[in-house]
Amino acid sequence: MAYAYLFKYIIIGDTGVGKSCLLLQFTDKRFQPVHDLTIGVEFGARMITIDGKQIKLQIWDTAGQESFRSITRSYYRGAAGALLVYDITRRDTFNHLTTWLEDARQHSNSNMVIMLIGNKSDLESRREVKKEEGEAFAREHGLIFMETSAKTASNVEEAFINTAKEIYEKIQEGVFDINNEANGIKIGPQHAASNATLAGNQGGQQAGGGCC
Amino acid sequence: MSEKAGSESLKAGASQKDENGQRAEEAGSVESSGREEDESEPVALTRKRPEAKPSNEPIVAEEPVDQTLKVSDSTDASQTGWGYWGSWGKSLLSTASATVATVGQGISNVIEKAETSLGIPSPSEISSEAKVVTGGSQSSEASNTGGVDDSSSLPISGAFGVLSTLSTAVQSTGKSVISGGLDALEFIGKKTMDVIAEGDPGFKKTKGLMNRNSTLSQVLREAKEKEEQRTATEVTMATKKKAHYGLLFDEFQGLSHLEALEMLSRESDSKVKSVINALSGEELDMLKVELEQLKEAFSLAEFYDDEEEEKKGDEDFTKEITALFFELHISAKPDKLAAARKSAHEWIERLNVEAPKEEKMSEENQQLDSGDANQDVQTSVEDIHAFAIRSLAELTACSIEMFHKTAALVLHGQKQEVSATGRAKALSQMTIVLCKELSSLSKEFTTCLTTAGIQMWIIRKMFYAPGECSQFSAGLQRKKQSSAISKRWQQDCQPGDQNLTKTSSE
Repeated sequence: MAYAYLFKYIIIGDTGVGKSCLLLQFTDKRFQPVHDLTIGVEFGARMITIDGKQIKLQIWDTAGQESFRSITRSYYRGAAGALLVYDITRRDTFNHLTTWLEDARQHSNSNMVIMLIGNKSDLESRREVKKEEGEAFAREHGLIFMETSAKTASNVEEAFINTAKEIYEKIQEGVFDINNEANGIKIGPQHAASNATLAGNQGGQQAGGGCC
Repeated sequence: MSEKAGSESLKAGASQKDENGQRAEEAGSVESSGREEDESEPVALTRKRPEAKPSNEPIVAEEPVDQTLKVSDSTDASQTGWGYWGSWGKSLLSTASATVATVGQGISNVIEKAETSLGIPSPSEISSEAKVVTGGSQSSEASNTGGVDDSSSLPISGAFGVLSTLSTAVQSTGKSVISGGLDALEFIGKKTMDVIAEGDPGFKKTKGLMNRNSTLSQVLREAKEKEEQRTATEVTMATKKKAHYGLLFDEFQGLSHLEALEMLSRESDSKVKSVINALSGEELDMLKVELEQLKEAFSLAEFYDDEEEEKKGDEDFTKEITALFFELHISAKPDKLAAARKSAHEWIERLNVEAPKEEKMSEENQQLDSGDANQDVQTSVEDIHAFAIRSLAELTACSIEMFHKTAALVLHGQKQEVSATGRAKALSQMTIVLCKELSSLSKEFTTCLTTAGIQMWIIRKMFYAPGECSQFSAGLQRKKQSSAISKRWQQDCQPGDQNLTKTSSE
């Protein structure tokens, strides 16, 4: 229940790449082969532990359909992490990454940690995008990269948790201002007592720079 | 067992005292912080707050109802100007979001009013947004402090309407909240008072950050966080956590959906504004007419709580909602909502079947050991309460989710297969259906609680001094609470979620 931090994530990427399945696997530890199309956005939440601290991940799973783009863009705001997902068995979903990345960068804060995910790694025989290509794209754009399978649960935990670790490190380094909620990070009740005064003071000064 | 009950009532007494103390403190800080602000005036309104009697008489809970009605009247009056349209999307959405919040025993009114006041630009100002923002926040501040410093930029009637509204709402919130005991409503209500009192640096921060976006979900969220903080420090809160509306509402993702809905609303609001700004002359007049019609469609939604309303079956409810989706030209199914509703009703049914049996059992037990019998009934009152709050939280969260999805689908639709007014009517009808549903559900819970309460009361009457019936009155409190939740719903959602039809008006 009580957590030290709350991170807001968004999951983005083309329709049918397995965004909702990844979320379901992460939150409920199950796989549902047939999934309804996501309307707008769905939500999931789970608690993880990093460095002995409880962290609550609040995940916004957006609709991948092109026609929902203008709506889903409004949800990007205030996310600390993003999972950018493509399907290794569909080249076009990989080709669209640049557009997604531009969109994400444009509509969210610049420090947002982005994890590139090549999903459906269990379908090796139908692979169209090589792992190396994913790695290269991630390197080029400064993303973390992983191949996952929402079906077999391979690397799913790791994808969510490594993103959180990266965010956590950024907090430690002072890159993220944890008192600005526009960064998608909130201090939980465990921490609040000691940080409350700080938050109050800093909050006032940052009033001008906020979004939302 | 009687010892346990005794100590519980002691605890309750003590915590209430704490609250009074805290409230007095808050009031003090309000005063001092009020003085610090240049533009602030005597804190007349906020100072009234502590006067609200922390009585635990159930009657108090009834009062705010009338006051809220007054409140909505005055909004209507304040919204007649054309300038109102500059922000219609926003204030209307806030009404929709208020739907949930109702729980907050009138806070939603306060918030809604605050938002409305924030959004009322005079006609000349439609094009200068920045001014509106400052004017707006000033007006809310002015409302809080009881002095109108710079309301020249606002329609006077609007500002005053809001003022009086706020004050009555605050008073009623104060009263009803205090009567509610240590629970979700209290927390949300208290939060509101803090917000109104501006004694909260956190609020100032958000206000600064979000300008006029100090929305309902934010207040709910803060209330939830406060509760989380509280529970983090106190370990023995298991039962209270179970029955904390704010936490449960979040657990059912209601808060997230509300936040997302607000994001859509903000975006739509600015789109509407830009459309209005781009138009002139005849076109503008036509749009004006259309918007007026939209407004009409929502204000139609009068909803009286029909006492003799017939019970609706699961299928009827689902059919009704599905038909409304059809009218909205949206392909969605109310599965989740229907499931939540069904499970609540089934639980109540089971309880009603069990109730007589339990009574018999406790009678038998009394002969053997009266203590155990009390324990049984006592647990079941707690259980009913916990389940009632949980069900209402789930149902309200599902409703908000439905509104959010509806908004997304309406915005998503490219073609205009249906007129905006048609959609508006369907939406306000939807609101009514949901409100009635909540109302009837909470009534059923009320009955359950009363029954359980009376059973216990009789037992206590028989075996203990009459003065020890604190649990019964606690049961009554809970009953009041749940009926208050539904009443709020009914009143606050009336105007419906006009924002959702926004695309069609473009």
